[in-house]
Amino acid sequence: MTFLDNNAIQIAIKNVKEKIRHWQYLVFSLGFPIMYTLIFYFFLGREAFSYGFPGMIIYTTAVATTSSAISFSGDKTSGMLERLDTMPTGRKNLFLGALLSETAIVSLQIIIMFIIGYMVLQVSYIGIFELLIGFFVAVLFGISSVGIGIIISGIAKTPDIANAIALFYYIPILFLSGSLMPFESPIVYFTPPFWAKQIYLQITILGHGLFDNLYSSSLLPPEGTAYMTPMPLWGGLLIIIAFAIVFIVIGIITFQKKTKF
Amino acid sequence: MSVTYNSVAIDIKDLMKHFKEVKAVDGISLKIKRGELFSILGPNGAGKTTLVRMLTTILSPTSGDANINGYSILTGKKEIVKKIGVCPQKITIYDVLRAEENVQFVAGMHEIPHKEAKERAKRLLEDFGIAGRKDWSKRFSGGMQRRLNLAMSLVFDPEILFLDEPTAGLDPQARRLVWDYIRDLKNKDITIILMTHDMVEADSLSDRVAIIDKGKIIAVGTPTELKDKYGSDNMVEVSFFNKEDLEVVKNNIQNISFVTNWNENTKNERKQLLISFQGGLKNFVKLLQQGLIENIDEVENMKFRQNSLEDVFLNLTGRRLRD
Repeated sequence: MTFLDNNAIQIAIKNVKEKIRHWQYLVFSLGFPIMYTLIFYFFLGREAFSYGFPGMIIYTTAVATTSSAISFSGDKTSGMLERLDTMPTGRKNLFLGALLSETAIVSLQIIIMFIIGYMVLQVSYIGIFELLIGFFVAVLFGISSVGIGIIISGIAKTPDIANAIALFYYIPILFLSGSLMPFESPIVYFTPPFWAKQIYLQITILGHGLFDNLYSSSLLPPEGTAYMTPMPLWGGLLIIIAFAIVFIVIGIITFQKKTKF
Repeated sequence: MSVTYNSVAIDIKDLMKHFKEVKAVDGISLKIKRGELFSILGPNGAGKTTLVRMLTTILSPTSGDANINGYSILTGKKEIVKKIGVCPQKITIYDVLRAEENVQFVAGMHEIPHKEAKERAKRLLEDFGIAGRKDWSKRFSGGMQRRLNLAMSLVFDPEILFLDEPTAGLDPQARRLVWDYIRDLKNKDITIILMTHDMVEADSLSDRVAIIDKGKIIAVGTPTELKDKYGSDNMVEVSFFNKEDLEVVKNNIQNISFVTNWNENTKNERKQLLISFQGGLKNFVKLLQQGLIENIDEVENMKFRQNSLEDVFLNLTGRRLRD
């Protein structure tokens, strides 16, 4: 048996079907980020918006927290998790399937946001390679959001509560990370969205390379109030990867522990 | 190794599950034969579901063990889940998937190739009268969802099938359809564990029945054995056109050994006789021949109330199943 077996793929396909067929989910996961993007665009103006757009991308992928939290707690409360436990599926495939489906959805969301940014709002991208790295960073952040979602689903008793906890987590964390509004504080370094937004901003918008230093939490251009932090960009990338791994592992452990009958 | 009807499919050995002070399952030992339809009867909270959750490897026992097809529930989960089908009482379907998508998904989890899964799903849904529905399962009626719930547990041809209240909420026609299907499964050598509150269902379908109360099995046997051993007497209520016939019958039944009691009801111009007797239908026929037909021209009405598993439970526990 390979690491990624047929069951995980089938679970992923089923998950994607479920998500696509829930129009409310589509509106929530894609409509909201687009709506906020447009609001920010009109409030900030085109020039400043280029620096706000990465925050919007991060907000879009953070929705994966809610999505996975609702999905897993739904399976838990509906009895489907218990039913799947009586099949030769294994929890490993359940988690892999969820990761695959959430990654697919997040990727689609990011692509749509890229298109809207480029074609409608005239956001400037440095080049296709930088855009691909930005895409990769956003997906990685999406995976760490899925991990948080799984942790939440382990704790939450119902999908409604999972939704509430997810919102309670990611809206404040987005603000604290300086992703939505400039926030000059060391707190930002402890938040995953900061690193994702910052890397994305530097690579895709400011045109910095992997060995350039990371800048502060500010959404303003680095010539403004921002100061340099002593870490090259790849260090931030490692932090994002570490966050994703830690959250996924904690999520799986929590979920397994909380759903052990 | 060839499989015979009498080989044991499920062997439960002193199985216990305690939730803090509550003894949900308290030392159950039981052997269920291959191909047998075995019913577990008991009121809510008796421990039926806990027992089955342990047998289906969802729940770990506090102590004891059970072998399912030769594999221990403590160490053989991977093998056990390949062989068992579970139809939970709660309808667990993906509501935005179509009926065939739900069934095919379960088939896929059992590694059945897509093409074959599609064919099996089609056949099963036809059997259950829900083929051809292209809308999402959430738009199905409750009865259709329950049939889909059952179809999902059958698509991979399980060797052992756990059915938890499979006909709850079904209309009589759909219930009959499911019963017929379960009878067909019996003929295919599938071992079926049926948990039900429905006495008629347990009585008509089961090879053997276990009555469970407060985490313990209090009686096991065929429905007939249980009714004969623990049940009440059967009863016949006869209404007559005239008092003379009633007297003749009274006289006749005095000499019948299996008649245990009779009561006369002549209030409000009624001419009724309530006769209690032991034994099954064979004795009922004898009673008709020796006590009722003899020297009687005509009876106005006659009702036969057969001893049921409900009586068995009542006599064993002092409570009704749904109390």
